Amino acid sequence: MWNVFLNQFGRTPLTRRKALWGMALVAPNVLGLMFFFGIPVLMAFATSLQQWNAIKPPVFVGLDNFTRLAGDAAFWQALGNTAKLLLLTVPVEIFLALNVAIMLNQRLRGRGFFRTLYFLPVVTSTVAAAIVWTWIFQPRYGLVGNLLAPLGLRDQPWLTRPDLVLFPIAAVTVWQRLGFDMVLFLAGLQAIPRVLYEAAIIDGARGWQRFRFITLPLLSPTTFLVIVLSVISGFQIFDQVYIMTARTTRGGVGGSATTLSYFLYQSAFVQSEFGYASAIALVLFLITLGVTAFQLSIQRRWVYYEAGER
Amino acid sequence: MSDKRWLMLVVVLSLLVMSFAGVRAQDEAAIAAQPCDEPGALTMWVWDENWALVIGSAIEAWKADYCPGAEVELQVQPWGQYWDLLKTNVAGGDLPDVFNMSQDRFFFYAGNDALLDLQPYYDEAGVDTSLWGSGMIDPYRWGEDGDLYAGPVNWDTIAVFYNKDLFDAAGLEYPTADWTWDEFADYAAKLTDPEADVYGAAVYSEYQTGYPNWIAATGTTPIVDAGRTQCTLTEPGSIEALTYLKDLYDQGYMPSISILGGASADDSFNFWLAGKVAMVAGGSWKLPAALEQATFNWDVVKLPMNPETGRSRSIVHSVGYVASAWTEAPELAANLILYLVSDEGQKFFADAGGVAPANPAMQERWVESFGETGVNIQTFVDALQDSQGVTVFDEIWDKINTELVVNIFDLGMSVEEATQQACEFIDTQLPQ
Repeated sequence: MWNVFLNQFGRTPLTRRKALWGMALVAPNVLGLMFFFGIPVLMAFATSLQQWNAIKPPVFVGLDNFTRLAGDAAFWQALGNTAKLLLLTVPVEIFLALNVAIMLNQRLRGRGFFRTLYFLPVVTSTVAAAIVWTWIFQPRYGLVGNLLAPLGLRDQPWLTRPDLVLFPIAAVTVWQRLGFDMVLFLAGLQAIPRVLYEAAIIDGARGWQRFRFITLPLLSPTTFLVIVLSVISGFQIFDQVYIMTARTTRGGVGGSATTLSYFLYQSAFVQSEFGYASAIALVLFLITLGVTAFQLSIQRRWVYYEAGER
Repeated sequence: MSDKRWLMLVVVLSLLVMSFAGVRAQDEAAIAAQPCDEPGALTMWVWDENWALVIGSAIEAWKADYCPGAEVELQVQPWGQYWDLLKTNVAGGDLPDVFNMSQDRFFFYAGNDALLDLQPYYDEAGVDTSLWGSGMIDPYRWGEDGDLYAGPVNWDTIAVFYNKDLFDAAGLEYPTADWTWDEFADYAAKLTDPEADVYGAAVYSEYQTGYPNWIAATGTTPIVDAGRTQCTLTEPGSIEALTYLKDLYDQGYMPSISILGGASADDSFNFWLAGKVAMVAGGSWKLPAALEQATFNWDVVKLPMNPETGRSRSIVHSVGYVASAWTEAPELAANLILYLVSDEGQKFFADAGGVAPANPAMQERWVESFGETGVNIQTFVDALQDSQGVTVFDEIWDKINTELVVNIFDLGMSVEEATQQACEFIDTQLPQ
């Protein structure tokens, strides 16, 4: 029996021993993930089929939470807001991160310093950053208001007006994720063999052509990874909304800044509807999964793997 | 007059009588602590560190004098996460034995049978619960017989904090307790100075310090009626008060929420501390901050009277202690709460000079604890006389504190439209 099990991991005693060691080494992490992640996820799934306010015993309601969700205008609005934020953040973020990465991939005085500088927001607490950004967007005394004053855009209530509020939130998100994307792009750029550029130069390719026909295609696996990760994190935007609207509208006037994650939080901790909130969580998970699966399915059309493995 | 109106009148009158009774009781009544039957272990949550220090010494005294051998594990869960943590703990089937409660959240926990009924323990100890006055404890009553489920620890009322230096600069006399809305508007106009970036007033923010006080002065119960059956924001009194405030805002005498940087009472108060606004509505809990941080001369004065009703009314809120319905030591928990609200326990709060102790016998002592300040602190005690208890609850809190005021005082929506919208939402949240 034991041998049958071990044979799964290799035919020789050495590879088996290696496999066992490997399993032993990852065990703490896997167990941790199972206990603190797997079990709660399963419980959330069960909770999504219940009506539960956290005090009274839960009542099984079948798929009621999901049918209610489908007809809940607030849910569709939150989904719309999340989509808008994705459109506002992901393209900008990738464009900026790629440019910064290319810049910082060149020989440059103080390169390490600048790389660190761009990466700093990633390790800054979102809460602290969002508070500072709230000041930056303060309409009269804030930086943005003063910069835009010559255009007559002082005293704009950036954080309360329903049609403006998503921009400051997107700005913080881009600012904070830029460094992470940059690091991935830097790694991608450095993996591109120099000889290709040298050959291209000998063939007379100009800068733009080298970028378009060497850098971009060879970087596409990285770009793909960055897009997938940004979209996933875009679906989870919460802290920025929570902090930047905490002192004014808490999710925007009429829910104009409420993302799916914020909607989930409100359902659970303001409305005390934990069953409904679990249903939202599950739907959010399925949407993220669906979008990611879609991205994986179309990747072969544009992602180029050098070694020819697809 | 419909039956409902009669009922309202009776309720209002009895509230009045009871609040006077509460004030008069200062001289005679006292709550005596009692020895516990059997010592045991309790867990306790509070949301404020300063409080924890005061309560910590009170608990030590309780253990020494009334319950030797008892153990209390006191935990501070900061305000920012207190309620979320409490809910997650409830979800895990685990509440602290004794914990801090606020009037707007009480509804949820009592409504779900999570709290211990303290009335039998008060009765047994011979405590006349009416001595606290209605505004402080009515929101903590539950059930058909109106049993009291909390021990009121402290109260706070609202008054106008004003910057004397700005009054002097404008050549104005200081306001007195008999001022009216008209005079307030007059002051606000004269104190506003756009060149110096100074506003006359900031008084609309957040439930307890803001516009609900002005609605209450018209005789209307703010936001929802006491029975939590209907939204009152579209009633004439509410419209009158909000329109009055919006006029001040439209004239430029009050800053917008975006300028203040937020819709909370703290945002307005910090603006006042920075010398950018002359008059701000503030709670008694702000006294220590003002005494410590204000760099100008200042004083407090009663909220102005509505010219028609002749009433100045303050929203009163009382923080309470409640015990979990699932506690293994209900007698002990009740005994500790009794001690904390007794004359002896309340002395610790009175002497700390922060928020005011709920026990009427301790109020003079609280005023005196500030020492010679030159500030009319007594005005907060006086405000108890015609005060309004909290009727709102958690689920509508965000809507009325943020969205309603942002719509009116930031985005310029009409009072009628904004209140209509708010009521539509509140109606969906009222218990059926």
